[in-house]
Amino acid sequence: MPVYIDINRCIGCRSCEVACQRVHSGSGHINVHFVGDYASVPIFCHHCEEANCTVACFTGALHKEGERTAFDVEKCTGCGLCQLACPFGVVWTNKIAHKCDLCEGRAAPACVTTCPANALTTDFELANRRARARAARSAAQGGRR
Amino acid sequence: MTQVLVPTVCPYCGAGCGFFIAVEKERATGIEYMPDHPVSEGALCAKGNAALEVLYHQDRLTSPLKRKGESWAKISWEEAIDLVARAFGEAIKKHGPGSIALLSSSKCSNEENYLIEKLARLLGSPNIDNCARLCHAPSVVGLNRTLGAAGMTNPIPDIANSKCIFVIGSNLAENHPVLSRWIHRAKDAGAVVIVADPRMTHTSWMADVFLQLKPGTDVALLNGMAHVIIKEGLMDRDYIAQRTRGFEDLKESVKDYTPEKVAEITGVAAATIVRAARSYAMSPASSILYSMGITQHSTGTDNVQAISNLALICGHMGKPGTGVMPLRGQNNVQGACDMGALAEFYPGYKKADDPETIKYFSSAWGAASLPLGPGLTATEMMDAAGTGEVKAMYIVGEDPANSDPCSKKVHSDLDNLDFLVVQDIFMTATAQLADVVLPGAVWAEKEGSFTNTERRVQWSGKAIEPPGAALSDLEIVCKVARSLGLDFDYPDAASVLAEINRTVPQYGGITRERLGKAGLIWPCPATDHPGTPILHTSGFKFAEGRASILPVPYRLAAEDASFDYPFVLTTGRVAVHHNAGSMTRRSPSLISREPDLYVEINTADATRLNVADGDEVTITTLRGETQAYARLTDKVKRGVVFMPFHFPGTNILTTEITDPEARIPEFKVSACKISRRD
Repeated sequence: MPVYIDINRCIGCRSCEVACQRVHSGSGHINVHFVGDYASVPIFCHHCEEANCTVACFTGALHKEGERTAFDVEKCTGCGLCQLACPFGVVWTNKIAHKCDLCEGRAAPACVTTCPANALTTDFELANRRARARAARSAAQGGRR
Repeated sequence: MTQVLVPTVCPYCGAGCGFFIAVEKERATGIEYMPDHPVSEGALCAKGNAALEVLYHQDRLTSPLKRKGESWAKISWEEAIDLVARAFGEAIKKHGPGSIALLSSSKCSNEENYLIEKLARLLGSPNIDNCARLCHAPSVVGLNRTLGAAGMTNPIPDIANSKCIFVIGSNLAENHPVLSRWIHRAKDAGAVVIVADPRMTHTSWMADVFLQLKPGTDVALLNGMAHVIIKEGLMDRDYIAQRTRGFEDLKESVKDYTPEKVAEITGVAAATIVRAARSYAMSPASSILYSMGITQHSTGTDNVQAISNLALICGHMGKPGTGVMPLRGQNNVQGACDMGALAEFYPGYKKADDPETIKYFSSAWGAASLPLGPGLTATEMMDAAGTGEVKAMYIVGEDPANSDPCSKKVHSDLDNLDFLVVQDIFMTATAQLADVVLPGAVWAEKEGSFTNTERRVQWSGKAIEPPGAALSDLEIVCKVARSLGLDFDYPDAASVLAEINRTVPQYGGITRERLGKAGLIWPCPATDHPGTPILHTSGFKFAEGRASILPVPYRLAAEDASFDYPFVLTTGRVAVHHNAGSMTRRSPSLISREPDLYVEINTADATRLNVADGDEVTITTLRGETQAYARLTDKVKRGVVFMPFHFPGTNILTTEITDPEARIPEFKVSACKISRRD
């Protein structure tokens, strides 16, 4: 289950960044980017179905495990190809590769639980439902928002 | 290895989010979220996530210190307490009890605040205050006057029931981030969100209607909205007739505030004002959320009353989804006020100038005499220190040298004291000026109850021991009081809370045993009372149960842009810092995200000043000058600049002019000039 983001809800508070760093001994895998003066967007691993990073990784350190793009630190050579391959810039290398592990072992990813605005979720249906509801409201109100 | 999870309440803002501290071998090793917490539902902002970073910080004070020339000498607790007791004893003997002043802390627990104000008053001094003076004193004065109770009228989760949320003078997305989850929940159910702020903030991203008003013109805007509501007949006539008094006066006083005239004053388009007024008045349940953008003005009390007027004429009070919500900035600033750490109130908002109050507490505390108030407020204490009226001061967990306006003057005022004792966890700028520094404990190192912004009293547990010789503020205050001959025999926080149960009616039923997971919301007069999440459901505590509508004319801010000082400087907060910053500036994951003082300047203004993004600039006001780097933005309008107040430089600039009633300084409006440093 990857993490889904509702950009309309993100308030740019950067809790997800601090929480991610906190549970990954200082190296975070989520970054909040500010777009002009009017929006903030957390950027993090999409766990792509056909993940470029796994294609580029010649040792198989990055590989798919079901929906998850998993990482086997034992196999990583630190070559940095994954970093070049990722179209979102969310895999990075510092001796070895670092990427989102969906907080393996925790009940939910820390970024999802900690998000004060409820902008992050692992529930695809919820993300979908919100988008539909927003579209419906917008249509009913003549595109007012 | 065994891990224990200790439930605590976040030490930062007033939202009162809960989290667990994981403790292994007597060390705090991590944070675990608390998904069943009523306010935060497991969420924590960046500050909350970084809270443990201050626990083992190398700068923590671990021993009492005595000034020795320019440096400090470590001393024993006995010597430190003896020095404090002797200095205060002498000041009282020589100059009378009015010559001492105590500043209590809105970071301390209810129990500690209660003891600190009790200490001041038993010593005979009415001079007790806390930094609520700098954030919500106008709410305490204004709402007590109009509604009969200060504090949020409705709890935070109730915001989700609102159909129109009017946020004015609050950047809650950054300062109380967890509130945004409740606003979004209301929006999901179709609520309209109106945001009024001089800056385009993260909060304004949530808005359907955004009113970018000129700093200091809030009364004009609010009166303008009242004008539209009355003119269009959108008020709640039944509610006005049954529950209020003073409507006719208001009607008369706002008749000239036409949208066109208000547009001229505020810079907000007339049509937008009308739209905001209609949305607020016509929704079935509207709430107003406000914060320091309303209070930190020389017209702070007026602003609060104008808000209260709007809510009252529309009848948006006493029902789910309605109300007036002052968002408090510190974890226990509500509690510090409730406990009477205020110049004009004894515990439970009993008026300090009322002989009945004195009689009540004299018998409750077994005191022969108690001082009749009001005493000196936080800002007046500084002036009094400067003039020599106050000789000795005891400051607990506050950093006025950074947080008070016109900080250069505050430095010299505090320097003028015969004796200053500061009790804190770090060597703050204020502590640097002290004669004796006492090492306190942080929230995780002690237990006690804390009252969040929605009046929810929660118990926070003790996870670890304080570092070195540091002690909890409760223990230190008891030591000081005993050495001054007072009978402060409180073994723990629970024993103090038991006394609070007897003396503060609102807290009568809030006992240690009853403070479980969700806490209790005061007023809770008896042990079988469930608490009162929504205030004013059946009228107000005034005669006939009527609230007061008090007309307020628009007054200009004390300063305005001029030829020499062409910009209006307004101040505020950012998501990764807290108040004067003594904690967050020491927190690596927070300071790395916002390391330096900056000033936001409108792009067009910057071009005229020949300033590029990232340039070092000098900002000058009548009070002094500060260096900062420029951030070019269209978040602020032309002629307005913004600086966060988490860094020492900002309050060198701000004005010491205060609201005449609540005595809050006008942090939000200072005329300044800006030049590039080359």
